[in-house]
Amino acid sequence: MYKYSEKDTQFLVERVDQFEKQLNRYLSGELDEDKFRSLRLRNGLYMELHAHMLRIAIPYGILSSNQLRALADVADKYDRGFGHFTTRQNIQFNWIQLPEIANLLRDLTDVGLHAIQTSGKATRNITADPLSGLTEGEIEDARPYCELIRRWFNLHPEFSWLPGKFKIAINGAKLDETALRIHDLGLRLVKNKKGELGFSVYVGGGLGAAAMIGPETASFVPIEDILSYLESAMRIYNLKGRRDHQKKLRIKFLVRELGAAEFSRLVDEDWQQTKNDPELKLNLKELQSLKEDFELPIDPINLKGFRDEVDFNYSIWKKNNVRSHKVSGYSIVTISLTKLGSAPGDATSEQMRILAKLADQYSSSEIRTTKRQTIVFPFVRKDEVFDLWKSLEEYDLSSPHQGTLAQIVACPGRDYCDLAKAVSIPIATRVQERFNEMNKLLDIGDLNINISGCENSCAHHHIADIGLLGMQKNGEEYYQITLAGETLHETNIGKKLGPSVSSETVVDAVENIVNVFIDNRKSEEKFTDVFKRIGIEPFKEKVYG
Amino acid sequence: MVEIENPTSLINKDYESIELVTFAEWIEDFERLANLGVGLILEPGDDVYLIQNQLDLIDLIALDFSNFDDGRGYTQAYLLSKRWKYVGEIIGINAHLDQLQFMIRSGVTSYQLLESYKGSNEEDYSNGFSLCYQAAANNNGLNLQY
Repeated sequence: MYKYSEKDTQFLVERVDQFEKQLNRYLSGELDEDKFRSLRLRNGLYMELHAHMLRIAIPYGILSSNQLRALADVADKYDRGFGHFTTRQNIQFNWIQLPEIANLLRDLTDVGLHAIQTSGKATRNITADPLSGLTEGEIEDARPYCELIRRWFNLHPEFSWLPGKFKIAINGAKLDETALRIHDLGLRLVKNKKGELGFSVYVGGGLGAAAMIGPETASFVPIEDILSYLESAMRIYNLKGRRDHQKKLRIKFLVRELGAAEFSRLVDEDWQQTKNDPELKLNLKELQSLKEDFELPIDPINLKGFRDEVDFNYSIWKKNNVRSHKVSGYSIVTISLTKLGSAPGDATSEQMRILAKLADQYSSSEIRTTKRQTIVFPFVRKDEVFDLWKSLEEYDLSSPHQGTLAQIVACPGRDYCDLAKAVSIPIATRVQERFNEMNKLLDIGDLNINISGCENSCAHHHIADIGLLGMQKNGEEYYQITLAGETLHETNIGKKLGPSVSSETVVDAVENIVNVFIDNRKSEEKFTDVFKRIGIEPFKEKVYG
Repeated sequence: MVEIENPTSLINKDYESIELVTFAEWIEDFERLANLGVGLILEPGDDVYLIQNQLDLIDLIALDFSNFDDGRGYTQAYLLSKRWKYVGEIIGINAHLDQLQFMIRSGVTSYQLLESYKGSNEEDYSNGFSLCYQAAANNNGLNLQY
């Protein structure tokens, strides 16, 4: 597994030293509130409703078991014993005391973790498919590219003070688990007719109040030219992005105002000046070295004659949580942290340590995080899946909810977040209570519900089968419903069902929507297939009657 | 002196006083001003591309970094320094301590801090790292780790 070098670790230490000085100047009154806000966000620190929230980067969602143990230690030492895995594959801690932050970050540098650019108006953590490198038919493993691009924009002098935040996703698979077209910038690894590798680039996607699907600005950028292309896109954004209106800071507004064709032309014009600069070429030697670092730690094994255990609960869990691996003899196991009453994505320090121990035992010490706030064990031998499940059972981590409606994605909501307009977690709990029978869940099948507490859309409600967006009406909490958002096969933003519904009736509305789906589906149809076939009206009629 | 409206001046790296004109004044009257050996103040919103072909007429360009969150000055510095190879002084005015590292590496050749930072250890903030991860206009003596 790829690890930071000593030099990289030294850089992390230097960044903590710098941040500690900034923090001390703020605490002594030397640095004003506005400037400190801008500086602290660049290091993942939010001032929340009750305490301080610190977001730690999990680059492209990959953690070693030692890193997870270090996060568990942070949860115990500096928080209230738990952390929250986010929809951008990071982890955040909600109860951090300001004067302790430098020590916390220093603890994490030992295992190569940091909070650099996990917030603020700069390039954020790069997200990737949690199954990168694991599945058949992949065009290319995105991870080495994620790492090279992450490095390049780490404290980049020209692009650290952009008009707004800048999120990048990179996908190397045919299906899009990364939702790249709802990112500020999405990169899809593709091959041209000559079989050469490059990127299709999509710019200006985003969720929030004005959800947009990013248009393609370049159909093929050779891999060695990607850094200069990305710089050109950010340069046009930096110079021309809206800085005059708080709600129009993101690049999607610039792309929309200029038009995708004009934006692409400006980027291309700038790129022609730099694409041949040898300093901006992707370092192919380093790429090769990273490919070796990211090589899978397993070899094919012959399990001829192996017969898996027969157990009712195991088979349900296996159906939902285990998928095939490109390396014969291995499986990919998804572990859902979802339990009734617990916040989606929350993990206690004890759970983190158990997962770390089990990853050592069953998954070559590697763990991946996903945008559905689940945990993936990428390298489990097929003949050990049952043993892993038994261990997960023992620790109450064998929830078979993965891929069912009960695997709800929710932001922290108004219980924790200063920006939220409504609660998210209690709604998730009520939906889970309503659909608490496994037979029913299995019958419903793969159906996503995402709940965001405000228009910032941290839970990506626009791209769920059923999206709920919290809002306030006359001091009461209401939820706007969107249906049939998707990104896997194609990207579609969920359609608004109608007027928002009250907190009291929102779970009834969800149940009605699910019932319309069940009543209308044919054989193996997914929710989005049914929606496309029957349209929005039957759902409207049932919910608003 | 009557030729320049609303003159301001600053001391350049050679400790000479240079008179400054605004971007608008320069664009309107650059042929005349070019003979006076003036410097130019560029605000973040000024279109730096308009002076691309006049750079050899300008002795000094002052980029205004007073707005902490407005990052356009970094791209202006990059374009002047690296892309157009401007040889005059690029001075960052109204600069903030915590942004020196970004300014210098984007191509700013000297700076004047805002008054409120007087007495701080500038060296700490202008070069607090042992390496950098990207080739920029100026790597400022850092080892490129890429």
